[in-house]
Amino acid sequence: MLELKNINVQFSGRNILKDINETFYPGEIIGLVAPNGTGKSTLMNVIMNYVKPSKGTVVVNENLQYTSKKNEVKIHQIVSMMPDQSDLYNHLSGIEHLRIYCSMWHSDPSLIESTINALNMESYVKKKTGTYSLGMRQRLCFAMQIVSNTPIMLMDEVMNGLDPNNVDIISKILLKKKEEGKIIIVASHLLENLESISDRIFLFKHGQLINVSDVSSGFGKNEITTVRVREMADEVNNKFLNEFPETNIQSLANGISLIDVTDFNVEQLAEIVVFLKENNQTDFSFGNVTLNDMYSMYYLGGK
Amino acid sequence: MWAYFKFELTQFIRNKKNIAVYVILLFLACFYAFEMAPSYKPIERVDAREIESRYLVREAFLSEFRDNPDRFSGMAGFGLAIYPEWNRLEKDRLDALNTGDYIKYSEATSGWYVYSNNFTYNSDFFSYSPGYYSHGNLYAEDDGYYGYLYSASRYKGYAEGKSELSLNVFEERTALQTVQRLLESYLPLILMIGCIFLTVDIVLKDRLNPTILKGFPISDWKKVVVKGFVALIGSIGMVLPLSIGLIFIGINYGFGDFNLPVPIYTLGEDVAIFLKGDFVNIPMGHYLLENFMLIALIFIFLISLILLSSMVIKNEFANLVVGAVFITNEVFYFKRGIGYWHEVELYPTNYVQVGQILSGYRNYIYGSSQLILNNGLIVMGISSLVLVVFIFIISKIKRYKLI
Repeated sequence: MLELKNINVQFSGRNILKDINETFYPGEIIGLVAPNGTGKSTLMNVIMNYVKPSKGTVVVNENLQYTSKKNEVKIHQIVSMMPDQSDLYNHLSGIEHLRIYCSMWHSDPSLIESTINALNMESYVKKKTGTYSLGMRQRLCFAMQIVSNTPIMLMDEVMNGLDPNNVDIISKILLKKKEEGKIIIVASHLLENLESISDRIFLFKHGQLINVSDVSSGFGKNEITTVRVREMADEVNNKFLNEFPETNIQSLANGISLIDVTDFNVEQLAEIVVFLKENNQTDFSFGNVTLNDMYSMYYLGGK
Repeated sequence: MWAYFKFELTQFIRNKKNIAVYVILLFLACFYAFEMAPSYKPIERVDAREIESRYLVREAFLSEFRDNPDRFSGMAGFGLAIYPEWNRLEKDRLDALNTGDYIKYSEATSGWYVYSNNFTYNSDFFSYSPGYYSHGNLYAEDDGYYGYLYSASRYKGYAEGKSELSLNVFEERTALQTVQRLLESYLPLILMIGCIFLTVDIVLKDRLNPTILKGFPISDWKKVVVKGFVALIGSIGMVLPLSIGLIFIGINYGFGDFNLPVPIYTLGEDVAIFLKGDFVNIPMGHYLLENFMLIALIFIFLISLILLSSMVIKNEFANLVVGAVFITNEVFYFKRGIGYWHEVELYPTNYVQVGQILSGYRNYIYGSSQLILNNGLIVMGISSLVLVVFIFIISKIKRYKLI
């Protein structure tokens, strides 16, 4: 278990993280979503104790805190963070990197082989990493953390530079690790993918961690909660509000308008379809609020 | 910790700068073996013609004055008094050389050096071998005194020992004797400079790969200890490229053996003539072991110093400066004889010239009797311990980050 208790971080008088209180449990994948520079990496650095919070504590397994260097070592045996691909040793091969991580965390050496196979790294893992492409380096960094096999894993921009096939492979591995009972915290800009693998997703706004389920009733539900209309004209919007005064409508910066149809019955939904057709709004779909929508709402602005 | 040690050692071995250090040392060793060693000209050479020349000149003098007592004067009397014994020794040396009896040559030569020194030091009439009177050397007489009694002791050791003797042994050209000579010359400095270069980035290189290394489940203190240990192994490993040069020297001039005598200057209670000390021989193996011990301890001191500098200043150039200041500091205050007034044995920087310390030469020129192995081990040991304690305290500070 990983608890963040009242975490505050300030840089130059600016609140990067503010009053963050959250608990993460074994068998959870936690998604972190935010534009660059809003605190995702800082939060991970706080969890790793690379950045000292001005206030608050990180608690691992109910009683371990960064109160001493000894505890820091104990926590780092439990919590690991995926290395950055730019930090790889170019003169070492991929397999040497994996062996280093395996030996440092005293994990099962057979994990090296199985991870190489799972990530299709056999063809290049024995070559020096200086010859790797961005995607190959990223896969290696992911593999290194998988090989470390710590109960809590932090992954910043894990899908960076990966093709869809590798995104899919890594997603499956993450789900497998989740089944093994690991806590995995993933920061990513691949929102659809993050939404598909995460148990809980948090947005960062003004230094605070916001659970998307708490701000959108329609998020993550397997029912029709939203009508998504593309390029809805302002006059149609106003007309809609006059005709359906009880219904919430939100225009996003990406040109999509979300009509909240939570708990609507078939007849009510039909009325909305008729309205949209009569007003020549033919590009619309039924579904629920997606992470992309939430991202637009929070970070790109909207009405 | 073992895993981290293997990781650090691998990094150390593959480090291009470290490889360059070893390659340069190998080049220097080979250059020395093929260029400098053959042109080595000892001041105290085995030169039958020189001996014969001196012998004949004195013999002519003796025969002249022995047969013409009327021409006798004060100084001639002095010559008549001292030359017969001197020439007997010269004759013994010459005969031994001609017959290849190196034991006898050693006995006679040892006696010759003692006898010659007695009449040469502070003498207005005699001088030491010309090699001591180099340009600007104000202490040529003292150097001659040291050199003659050193040679006397050495030859006495050859005569009494069981080592296989040769002209190369007499001129200290064998591989082990070359090591001994170099230890009393630039070798300790070269080794220390090498140690500094090998250690200078051992902490700071981690800044290039922070996200890989920061999360390792090992404490900063253990990291630093492992790094220091790796640097020590690497520094001791400098012996390997240097050995290649020694093998070449050994092939050309013989290897010598570990029982060859090494004269050690001591200024004990029983002060010899001229208020100076005397020489005692120790086996070559013993001498080299002492050198290894003191150099290893100085390595530990230097490594600790650079580790501490890396942790506090966090700048490789600063590390170089700190190391360089240690090994060159003595130059700024050294004056011959100041050991008589100052407790020079307390300064760690005085132990840099390891071979000269252990051979007693440093005591001789400082006018001290305390620059000895035991004091060196104590001073360097305590200094290293103090540095290690500082490193320990800093690494345990909660907010301190090594990387």
